[in-house]
Amino acid sequence: MRAPDDTEIKAGQTLLSVEGVSLSFGGVKAIRNVSFDIKKGEIRAIIGPNGAGKTSMLNQITFKGVKRKKMRPHDAATGGIARTFQNVALFKSMTTLDNIMAGRTLRMNKNLFWQLLRFGPAEREEIEHRRKVEEIIDFLEIQHIRRVPVGRLPYGLQKRVELGRALAMEPELLLLDEPMAGMNLEEKEDMCRYVIDVNNHYGTTIALIEHDMGVVMDLANRVVVLDYGQKIADGTPDEVKANKAVIDAYLGVAH
Amino acid sequence: MFYREAGQFKTTYRGDMTVFPILQDRIGIIVILVVAFSIPLFSSNFMLHAIMIPFLIFALAAIGLNILTGYTGLLSLGTGGFMGVGAYACYKLATVFPEVHILIWVVVSGFASAAVGILFGLPSLRIKGFYLAVATLASQFFLSWCFIRIPWLVNYNVSNAIEVPRRTLFGVHVTGPEATPQARYLVVLTIVVVMTWLASNLVRGRIGRMWMAVRDMDIAAELMGIKLLNTKLLAFAVSSFYCGVAGAMLVFLYYGSAEATAFSINQSFAVLSMVIIGGLGSLLGSFMGAALIFMLPIMLPQLMAAMGLPIQSATAEHISFMIIGALIVFFLIVEPHGLARLWQIAKQKLRVWPYPY
Repeated sequence: MRAPDDTEIKAGQTLLSVEGVSLSFGGVKAIRNVSFDIKKGEIRAIIGPNGAGKTSMLNQITFKGVKRKKMRPHDAATGGIARTFQNVALFKSMTTLDNIMAGRTLRMNKNLFWQLLRFGPAEREEIEHRRKVEEIIDFLEIQHIRRVPVGRLPYGLQKRVELGRALAMEPELLLLDEPMAGMNLEEKEDMCRYVIDVNNHYGTTIALIEHDMGVVMDLANRVVVLDYGQKIADGTPDEVKANKAVIDAYLGVAH
Repeated sequence: MFYREAGQFKTTYRGDMTVFPILQDRIGIIVILVVAFSIPLFSSNFMLHAIMIPFLIFALAAIGLNILTGYTGLLSLGTGGFMGVGAYACYKLATVFPEVHILIWVVVSGFASAAVGILFGLPSLRIKGFYLAVATLASQFFLSWCFIRIPWLVNYNVSNAIEVPRRTLFGVHVTGPEATPQARYLVVLTIVVVMTWLASNLVRGRIGRMWMAVRDMDIAAELMGIKLLNTKLLAFAVSSFYCGVAGAMLVFLYYGSAEATAFSINQSFAVLSMVIIGGLGSLLGSFMGAALIFMLPIMLPQLMAAMGLPIQSATAEHISFMIIGALIVFFLIVEPHGLARLWQIAKQKLRVWPYPY
């Protein structure tokens, strides 16, 4: 994996490339020699039937690279990668505000001494970041749940808060693992709008794993399809839709 | 509460982020502080010495453990040991450098405790929950052993105990046999108030959020760039610092002299039960838990006497043990967030009263 670096990479150039990644759990080969790239500024979807290795793939992107054999989670975060999780991984007992503020941890640097006093530099820093967080809260329209512990929120809103937390990191690459899972139509539409807005407004590159084909085909610029851990197609939504291997994988094929 | 936030709008983030955003709460805390500082004027020596001083000291220890267990989610049974490190460090420092003021050493001894805390916190990256509790239990036994077996710690006293030297502040005795409960109480109160204020700043800021993030979902925290080991070790350090200062105060401002048994495993369990009953992850809860555990054995005989059932003090002690045990079981099952959460619920109910919500 090449660490993203915003000074060099322009829109349309490769932001991240995955080359020949394999992953096995014991004898189960979850991913077999998969390669693809993500270009800056695009929405890239990774799809595939259940158990195709999509989430494993995403975990690989975040956790391990090819060029750097072991990419530590911390390095991924400093390198500008943020992600959301398939089963929401929010800080349940913290409020929405604190969750999103926690997303800005890396960008805050006042030390223990000032934190203890919470005065002067530490307070200014807190206010400055609070302003950024409020922008994100406005952007995602979650003002009304600012002070609610996220554990008490409905699922759809939790997903939105999680997106907010990832956005607070001001990432260059945003990995979304099934952002629409378990949502009703209305919530899905909202989420789609936010994903597109994030892409347009912040210029964030997005890698998306999703089961809802309608959503994927509408949102993504390019789609990579996995099946049994192997890449079977890669291209624009229209190309992928017409691909024989993809249709077979989804609909099954007579043997 | 009987009052609401209605009409109290904030126009700055600074105003919105204060500890007590509601005016009535601010007045309330000022009243509490004024009462606390003026208690020596109208209360008995017994009240100060037997209730208020140990209550405040244990509240501080409970805050220390709460930072570790409540905020960061790391269970520790080594509190007694860490308090002991503070006490012994304070004694060593005060006897080796008698010219430096004792109260400075009381606070500085926290650093010794913090260092020991970091050392025993190192396994916390790898082990969690029960297993970490056992690791900290080992630290408790190891430290207890050190207190008993290393005579250097008590300057080779024959009694094998810490003997608190006489020291004064502004010409008034604050430690040693001549110190009045009033003087000691005011010193303890000042230290506890300042350290509570610092702790509340800490848990509301970046570091507090890092701790809670690690507690709630460590994988997500790691992916947001929070280094787990550093965060956990910082929690151990700060927590042990608080416990160390509490331990030093316990010996120098309350007991007057102490043997190694003062910092046994029982002390760890006492503080842990305060945190559980008071409320995990709440500074207010630390005070409530300490108050309950301390008030109970003292109030119980008087309460029973008032009801026409005078009991002996030994019986009262046994009964209070049973009540505390039952309370711990009750809180663990019914309300893991303890008295502090019950207080919040009560406030919320009163706020919307007479409507259910």
